[in-house]
Amino acid sequence: MVQFFLESDRVAEFVTHLMKRKPVYAPHRKGRKSYSFERTRDAAGVVLDYPRVMQSVKKFFLPPREQLLSFDLGDNTCRAGEVEPLDAIFLGVHSYDLAAVGRLDHNFSEGRAERNYLTRRQGALWVGVSYEPDEYHFAGSVGIDPYDTEGFDIFLTRLLDGYVLEVLTPAGESLLEGFDLPAHEAGKPAKKHFQQHIYVPQDRLNEVMSASYNNPVWEETALGCVGCGTCNLVCPTCYCFNVEENVDITVTKGSRDRHWDGCMLREFSEVAGGEVFRETLAARQRHRVMRKFKYISEKTGQPWCVGCGRCTAYCTAGISIVNIVNRCISDYEKSTVSAIR
Amino acid sequence: MAQKPRVAIFDFTGCEGCELNQLNFEDQLLDILAHVDIVEWREAMDDRPGEYDIAFVEGSLSTPDCIKRIHEIRRRAKVLVAVGACAVQGGINGMKNIRPIEQVREEVYGEDKYLFPTLPALPLRAVVKVDHEVRGCPMTQIEFLKVFTALVMGKEPIEPTSSVCTECKLKENECVFTKGMICLGPVTRAGCDAHCPTFGQYCTGCRGLVPEPNLEGMKEILVEHGLSVQEAWKRLQLYNAVELEGVRS
Amino acid sequence: MNLNQLSPRAEMEDLYLPVMAEIKETRRLTDLETLYTVELPDGRDLGHRPGQFVEVSMFGIGEAPFSISSSPTRKGVFELGIRKVGLLTEKLAELEAGTKIGIRGPFGNGIDVEKFQGKDVLIVAGGIGLVPMRSMINHVRDRRDDFGRLIICYGSRSDRELLFTEELEEWEREKRTEYHVTVDQGSPAWKGNTGVITTLIPGLDLDLPNTVCCICGPPVMYRFVLLALKSRGLADRNIYMSLERRMKCGVGKCGHCQINGSYVCQDGPVYHYPDIKTLQEAL
Ligand SMILES: Cc1cc2nc3c(=O)[nH]c(=O)nc-3n(C[C@H](O)[C@H](O)[C@H](O)COP(=O)(O)OP(=O)(O)OC[C@H]3O[C@@H](n4cnc5c(N)ncnc54)[C@H](O)[C@@H]3O)c2cc1C
Ligand code: SF4
Ligand code: SF4
Ligand code: SF4
Ligand code: SF4
Ligand code: SF4
Ligand code: FES
Repeated sequence: MVQFFLESDRVAEFVTHLMKRKPVYAPHRKGRKSYSFERTRDAAGVVLDYPRVMQSVKKFFLPPREQLLSFDLGDNTCRAGEVEPLDAIFLGVHSYDLAAVGRLDHNFSEGRAERNYLTRRQGALWVGVSYEPDEYHFAGSVGIDPYDTEGFDIFLTRLLDGYVLEVLTPAGESLLEGFDLPAHEAGKPAKKHFQQHIYVPQDRLNEVMSASYNNPVWEETALGCVGCGTCNLVCPTCYCFNVEENVDITVTKGSRDRHWDGCMLREFSEVAGGEVFRETLAARQRHRVMRKFKYISEKTGQPWCVGCGRCTAYCTAGISIVNIVNRCISDYEKSTVSAIR
Repeated sequence: MAQKPRVAIFDFTGCEGCELNQLNFEDQLLDILAHVDIVEWREAMDDRPGEYDIAFVEGSLSTPDCIKRIHEIRRRAKVLVAVGACAVQGGINGMKNIRPIEQVREEVYGEDKYLFPTLPALPLRAVVKVDHEVRGCPMTQIEFLKVFTALVMGKEPIEPTSSVCTECKLKENECVFTKGMICLGPVTRAGCDAHCPTFGQYCTGCRGLVPEPNLEGMKEILVEHGLSVQEAWKRLQLYNAVELEGVRS
Repeated sequence: MNLNQLSPRAEMEDLYLPVMAEIKETRRLTDLETLYTVELPDGRDLGHRPGQFVEVSMFGIGEAPFSISSSPTRKGVFELGIRKVGLLTEKLAELEAGTKIGIRGPFGNGIDVEKFQGKDVLIVAGGIGLVPMRSMINHVRDRRDDFGRLIICYGSRSDRELLFTEELEEWEREKRTEYHVTVDQGSPAWKGNTGVITTLIPGLDLDLPNTVCCICGPPVMYRFVLLALKSRGLADRNIYMSLERRMKCGVGKCGHCQINGSYVCQDGPVYHYPDIKTLQEAL
C-alpha cells in the first residue's frame, strides 16, 4: 500500500485535480449547521471535516424521486425512464456510508438485478475520509471503524495538519496520476473512540433481538414517537419506495414515479380494503429495528445498521436506536440470568 | 369523460386567500379550462340552477345561511371538493370555537352582533358529505392540480397521509428545529412539498393533522423545545381547533 | 468498491417496464368481479405456476398485483379475476375487449405442483380466494391422473356472490371432483349449506397422511380454517397458504410486502405453513 501526505492547504488543489478527471461529489455546507453531498463546482466549497450529512450518497444511486417510466395516454404506450450512468468520484465519504452502499448493492442485485440503481452505481469511484465520532455515531459497535478503508479507492486519514492519503486500488492510483505528493512513512493514527455503544458484539444481536419481539420497549417508544418517518428517510441502508402515477395537466401524458417511503408510516403496510398489517406505532418501530438487527442479518450475516446515528440525530422526538437495542440487551441478559438461577 | 365535466366554484367565509378565481398559476389555468366547462362563478350561484359534475367549495360555514347554501350545493353536485384549510378543517376560523361565541360575535360584528346570528366555524364535512379535499392555507396548488386532473380522468385522487417531515427529508432540508424554531411538520399532512421549511420557515400545520396523530408525543416534542404545555396545545389548535376540540358553542 | 460480480448493463432487464397485453374477453362474474382473458404480444405464453401473480397496470391510474386464475395447462391466453375495490380496479371494470393493459410478471413463487403429485389435494377457498385457487384446481383437473383426490371447499358470503358459477356446476357434476360449498347467508332460493367455511371441514373424509391442503381467503379466515384442520389432525407440513400484502414492485425491491423478514412477492404469496407459523405478523 502506498501512503502519501496531503497538507491541509493543498486540499483544494487536490479537489481541483480530481475535478479535472471526473465529476466530483463531495460534502458542502448547507443551511446553518448542516452539510450535504453536492456536485462540486468550486473546490473551495468542499468540507472534509464534517460530522454527518443528512442524506448519504444513496441519494445519487436511488434518487429520492425517480421516473420509472413515462407514458402517453393517447396511444397507451410507455417507455422506460432515462437512467444515466454516473461516472463520478465521491469524495469525503465516511466509512459507514460506503458500508451502507454495500448493503444497498446487495438489495438491488440480489434476485432480479435492478437496472436503475446498478447503472448509476457502477461507475462510482470512492475517496474516503476519516471522521471524529460525535454523540450519535456508533459504527464501531457494528464493526465499522472510522479508518475502515474497505471499498475505497483512496482513503484520507485526518491528522492535525493534513491527511494521510492511502491509495488502495489501481483506479485510485490512476486518479492520483499527475498529482505529486510526498510519501508518508509514519504508522497508524490513534484509535478513535465512540461515545455511543451497543453493548453486545454484533454477532450476538440476532439472538438478543429474536428474544425481544414482546419487549415492552416497543410500546414505551411508541408513546413518544409521532410516526413521522424521518428515521427511515435518513437511513443510508433503507431502500423502500412507493410508486405513484403523475399525470400532466394536459391529461395526455404522464409518468410512473417512485419515491422513498418508510415502514414507520402507517400507509406502508395498508392494503386495499383498509387493513393495515402493522397498525400500531409500536409494531412499526419494532419492524424498523428488527429490520436493522435481525430480519436481514439472519439472511446475510451482516447487521443492516451501519451505526451512522442519523435516525437518532434527526428524530425530533429524541428516540435513540442505540437505547432501544441496549434496552433489549439488558432485558435479555436479565432474563437469561434469571433463567440460570 | 366524453363530455367536458361541468365545474362550479363556491366561496364561503374564507379569508379570500384561496380564491380559485384568482389562481396565480395562470399558465396552467388555460390547460385546466380546456378540460372543463366552468358553469358558475361564485356570484352566479343562484342565477342558473342546474347540476354540476364537480363543485369546488372554499371557506368554512358560520351562519345558518351558509348551511342552507351548502346543502343546496351538495344536492346539485356529483362530486364535492373542499378547498383550503377553512373548508377542510374549519381552518383558522375554527379558532373561534374555542372562545365563547358571544365574544367572537362582539369582536367581529361589534354593535351589530345581534343582527348576525353566527355558528361556530364548521368545516364542510361537519354538515355535508365531502368527496375530496384540497388542503392548505392558502390551498396547496400542486395538490389542487393533482385532484383536478384525477377528477378530469374520472378517478379517485390519492390523499397524502404521511407527515411534512417526509417531504423535508426527500428534499434534504435542514430541519428548522436545528435553528431553534418550533415546527408542526411531524404531525402535519404532507402534500405541500414541505413548502415552509423549504424556505427556512416552520410549519404551522395548515394542512391539518395526519390520520391518527400521536398528539401527546407531539406536545412532548414542543415542550422539549421550550413551549409550555398550554402554548404547545395552542400551536396545535391553530389549524385543528375543530378536530381537537370538537364544536363548542 | 466495484460491482464486477454484477451483470453488465446490457443484460439487465427493466424490472418496471410492463408489456402491453390485450384483453381478449371480459366476463362479469358478479356485481363486483370480472374475469379478464388476456393475451400477451404474439400470443406468447405467460409460463406461470398456479399461485403466481402478475402486476397489472393502466397508465395514469396505477398498478396492482392480481393472481393468475387460469391453469398453466391452458396455453395462449391467461385469466384474471378482479374485484372492484378501489382506484385501479374500478377503472379496470370499465374496460372492454380489445383494450391493452400493462402486465409484468409472473411473479412470486407459486405452488410447487410437482410436490403435490400423487397426493390428495384439498383446496379451501373463501370469497375472492377462489380466483387464485382456480388455477390449481384446473391444473389438477387437466392432469387428473398425476394427483389423488381433488377436494374443494368453497365459502362465500352469499349465493349471489359465488364466482364462476358455471364451473362450480361442472365441478359438482364431475365424478373425480369432490366439491363442497357453503354460504354465510343464503337467499331464499339457496338450497345448499349455510354457515362459515369452517363448517365444511369436520364432515370431510380425509386420508390424512396423503392429503395436502391449500388455503386462500380473506385475512380473518386463516386462523379459523387452521384450527378446524388441526382438529381433524392434518399435519402442519401438509398445509400451504396464499397470503396478501401491500405490493408496489412485485420483484423484491420496494419493501412493502414484508412479513417480518419475509417478502411475500419473493418467498410467497404461497407459503408452506411450517415456514410462517413462527412469524408473528403472518396470520
Ligand atoms: C399476491 C396478490 C394477489 C392478488 N390477487 C387478486 C386477485 O386475483 N383478484 C383481486 O381482485 N384482487 C387480488 N389482490 C388484491 C388486489 O391487489 C387489490 O385489490 C388491488 O391492489 C386494489 O387496487 P385498487 O387500486 O383498486 O384499490 P385502492 O384501495 O384504491 O388502492 C390500493 C392501491 O392504491 C394505491 N394507493 C392508494 N392510496 C395510495 C397513496 N396514498 N399513495 C400511493 N398509492 C396509493 C396503492 O397502490 C394501493 O395498493 C391480490 C393481492 C396480492 C398481494
Ligand atoms: S423519526 Fe422519531 S418520531 Fe419520527 S417515526 Fe422515527 S422514531 Fe418516530
Ligand atoms: S438505523 Fe439509524 S444508525 Fe443505523 S444505519 Fe440507519 S440511520 Fe444509521
Ligand atoms: S427499515 Fe423499513 S423502510 Fe427501511 S428498508 Fe427496512 S422496511 Fe424499508
Ligand atoms: S423542518 Fe419541520 S417538517 Fe421539516 S423535518 Fe423539521 S420538523 Fe419536520
Ligand atoms: S409546511 Fe406546513 S404550514 Fe407550510 S404549507 Fe405545508 S402544511 Fe402548511
Ligand atoms: S412487492 Fe415490492 S418488495 Fe415485494
